[in-house]
Amino acid sequence: MKSSHRLALLFIVPSLVFVSVFTLYPIVESFRLSFYRMILTLPWLGQKMVGWENYLDLWTDPVAWQALRTTLLFVAITVPSELLLGLGMALVMNEAFRGRGVLRAVVLIPWAIPTVVSSQMWRFIFNDRYGLFNFVLFGGDTARYFAPLADPRFAMLAIMAAEIWKTAPFAALIILAGLQTISDEVYEAASIDGATSWQKFYHVTLPLLWPALLLALLFRTIDALRVFDLVFVMTQGGPADATNVLQFYGYKKTFAEGMIGYGSTIAVTVFMISLILALAYLRALKSERLQGAAR
Amino acid sequence: MRDLFCIFAILFCLLPQAVNAQATLLRAVISRTDTPQLWDDAIAEFEQQNPGVKVVKEIAPNSSTQFHDLLTQKLKNRDTRLDVFFMDVIWPSEFASAGWALPLDRFFSTTEQGKFLEAPIAANRYRGEIFGVPLFIDAGLLYYRKDLLEKHRMAPPRHWPELVDQAKTVLAAELDPHLVGYSGQFKQYEGLVCNMMEFILGNGGALWDEQRLVSAVQQERAKQAVRFVRDHIISEISSRGVLAYEEPESVALFAQGRAIFHRNWPYAWRVANDPEQSRVIGKVGMMPLPAFPGGKGASTLGGWQIGISRFSKIPEVAWRFVAFMTSHQMQKRIAFSTGRAPTRKALYTDPELLAQVPWLESMLETFKQAVPRPRTPVYAPLSNIMQRYFSAALALPGSKIDQRSALAARDMDRVLDLLRETAAP
Repeated sequence: MKSSHRLALLFIVPSLVFVSVFTLYPIVESFRLSFYRMILTLPWLGQKMVGWENYLDLWTDPVAWQALRTTLLFVAITVPSELLLGLGMALVMNEAFRGRGVLRAVVLIPWAIPTVVSSQMWRFIFNDRYGLFNFVLFGGDTARYFAPLADPRFAMLAIMAAEIWKTAPFAALIILAGLQTISDEVYEAASIDGATSWQKFYHVTLPLLWPALLLALLFRTIDALRVFDLVFVMTQGGPADATNVLQFYGYKKTFAEGMIGYGSTIAVTVFMISLILALAYLRALKSERLQGAAR
Repeated sequence: MRDLFCIFAILFCLLPQAVNAQATLLRAVISRTDTPQLWDDAIAEFEQQNPGVKVVKEIAPNSSTQFHDLLTQKLKNRDTRLDVFFMDVIWPSEFASAGWALPLDRFFSTTEQGKFLEAPIAANRYRGEIFGVPLFIDAGLLYYRKDLLEKHRMAPPRHWPELVDQAKTVLAAELDPHLVGYSGQFKQYEGLVCNMMEFILGNGGALWDEQRLVSAVQQERAKQAVRFVRDHIISEISSRGVLAYEEPESVALFAQGRAIFHRNWPYAWRVANDPEQSRVIGKVGMMPLPAFPGGKGASTLGGWQIGISRFSKIPEVAWRFVAFMTSHQMQKRIAFSTGRAPTRKALYTDPELLAQVPWLESMLETFKQAVPRPRTPVYAPLSNIMQRYFSAALALPGSKIDQRSALAARDMDRVLDLLRETAAP
C-alpha cells in the first residue's frame, strides 16, 4: 500500500466510524429487532425470537395495507405536483429581472420553516371555525364552513396541499441549479436555427435538465415515502385512519404501544421500499449521465 | 489573543459546573392548563420552600395521546433528565409494569392514601404497590343550555334519544345556522374512547371483559350504541367538525353559545362561566350523563396523577415536589383557578372552596361512581385499536359496523392474549 493511500484511509476513518455508529448500527439493530417479539410494557415476556412471524403479521395486517396505499397515494400525488410547480418556479427564477434575488429568497421560505411549525399553521388554516381556507371559500358565510381535517375524504388532500406548499421550493432549488448549468450558447444556437420558445424548452432545456429532475424526483420520492411530521401535527392519523401513513403507523406501534418488534418490522419495510426505489432511480440517473457523456 | 482564547475556553468549560453546583435541577413534565400562571406560581413557591432546588418544567401537549408518546419516549430511553411527570389515569399500570414509574409506598403511606377518593387511588395501584398521587379527578358530565331548554319548555333529558329529540326541536325552532345540538370529543385519540365508552356502558355494553380477557365491542349492545352515535348524535345534531375535536375545541364551541348540549370534564364549567371566554355565563346547566332507556348512565373516570421516574437520580426531592403539588392547599388552589375537581376527600366539605365552586358537592356522587377504563399494561395498543374502529365507524356515514367491530374485536383479542402468557417472574 502506498503511503498516500494509507493517509487517505486514515482520513476517512472518522466518517466511516460516524456512519457506522449513527446509520449502520440503527439499521442493523432494526433488522434484528424485526425478528423478535419485544413488548416494552410486558417486560417479563422478554425478547423472543419469532423468525418471520412479524413479517407474516404485517402481510395480513389490513391497517398496514391501508397505510401503504395511503402512503403511495401521497407520493404519487405530491411528488409530480412538487416537480411541476418547482419547474415553473425555477424557470421564472432563472430569468433575469429586477428583484430576482429577493424572489429567490422569498420562494425558499416555505421550505425553510420547520415542518412542525408550518404543519401547525396549516392546521389553523383548515380549522372549521376560524380557518383561512373556509374564509377564502365562503367569505363571511360562516354557516357553510366545514372541517376538512374531520372528513376522511378531505383530510389527506389537506395534508398533501401542505406538503406541496412546503417542498415545491426545494424541488425548485435543485431544478434551478440544473438550469444554471445549461450554457447560453445552446440557446443562442437554437435561436439562430429559428427555434420558438416552446421548441427551445422542449428540445434544449428539458433534455439537459433531466439529471436535475431525476435527482429532485429521487429526493422527493424518498422523503415523501417517509412523511411523518405533517400527519403527526395535523391529524394524528385520523379521521378513520384516512391519514395513517406507514411511518406514522410504525411510530405508533413502537413508541405509543411499545411493540418494538412489530414497529421495527414496519420501519424495515419502509426502509426496503425506499432503498429499492432509490436504487432504481440511481440506475436511471447513471444511464442518463452516460448517455449525456456519449452525446 | 491566544491567552484570551484560553481563558474563554476554560470559562466555557467551567460554566455548566458552576450552574450545577448552585442548584439541583428537578425536571417535570406537566399538563397544559388555561391558566399557565398557576404552575409558575406553584413552582416559584416550591423553589422558595426548597432552597437549592430549581424546577425545570416542560409543558406537554394537550392531547393525552401525544402526552403519552412524549413521556414514553423519555422513559423508554431511561432518560435521567426526567424526574416527575403527570400521568393520565390510564397510564400507571403500564408505567408500573414496564418498570418506568417508581413505587411510592415508602413515601406515600396507606393512612395518607386513605385521605384521597378511592377510585383514583385504585387507578394508581398495580400489583399491590402505588405508583402515583392523584392530583385531580375527572368524570364525564353533560352540560346544557338551561335558557334554551326553558324557552322551549323542556326538562333536562333523561336518556340519549330524548336528548336528540330535544336538540332537533330546539334547532328547528331557533333557525340559527351557527347552532348545533351536540359537541363532544370525537377525534381519533384517547378522548374518543372516553366518549364512546360512556355511550356503550350507558347501553349495558362493555369495551372488554376484564375477567375472561376477551373483547366486547362486537357485542350487540356495544354496536347499538356506536350506531346510535353515528346515525343520531353525529349525523342529526352535530356538525361533522366534531370528528376533529378534542376538549378545547368542543368546549370553545359551547362557550360561544353555538351548542345546546356538551359533554366534557368538570373544568368546562369554569370555561363556560369565564367572562373572558364565554358568551353563555349563567345560562349553563350541568348534570350526570344520560343513559339509554333502561340502561344506567356511566361517566368515564379521568383525571391526572403525579408519578416519579424510576430513573430519577433525586427521588427524595421529586417526592417533595409531588407532595407539594398534591397537598390540600395546592389542590384547593387548582380547583379555584382551573375548575379541576380535587382528589382529597376533605376538600369536598371545605366551606371556602364550596362557596366558590358550589357544584362540587353535588358532583361527588358522580365522581365516586365514575367508571375507570379497564386497567392493564397493554392499554395503549387496545386503545389504538378502539380509536381506529370508533373513528372509522363514526366518520363514514354508511360504515359497516358489524364488520369493523368484528375486526377490532379480533385485534383486541390478540393483544389480550398476551396477558394470558403472563407467567410473571
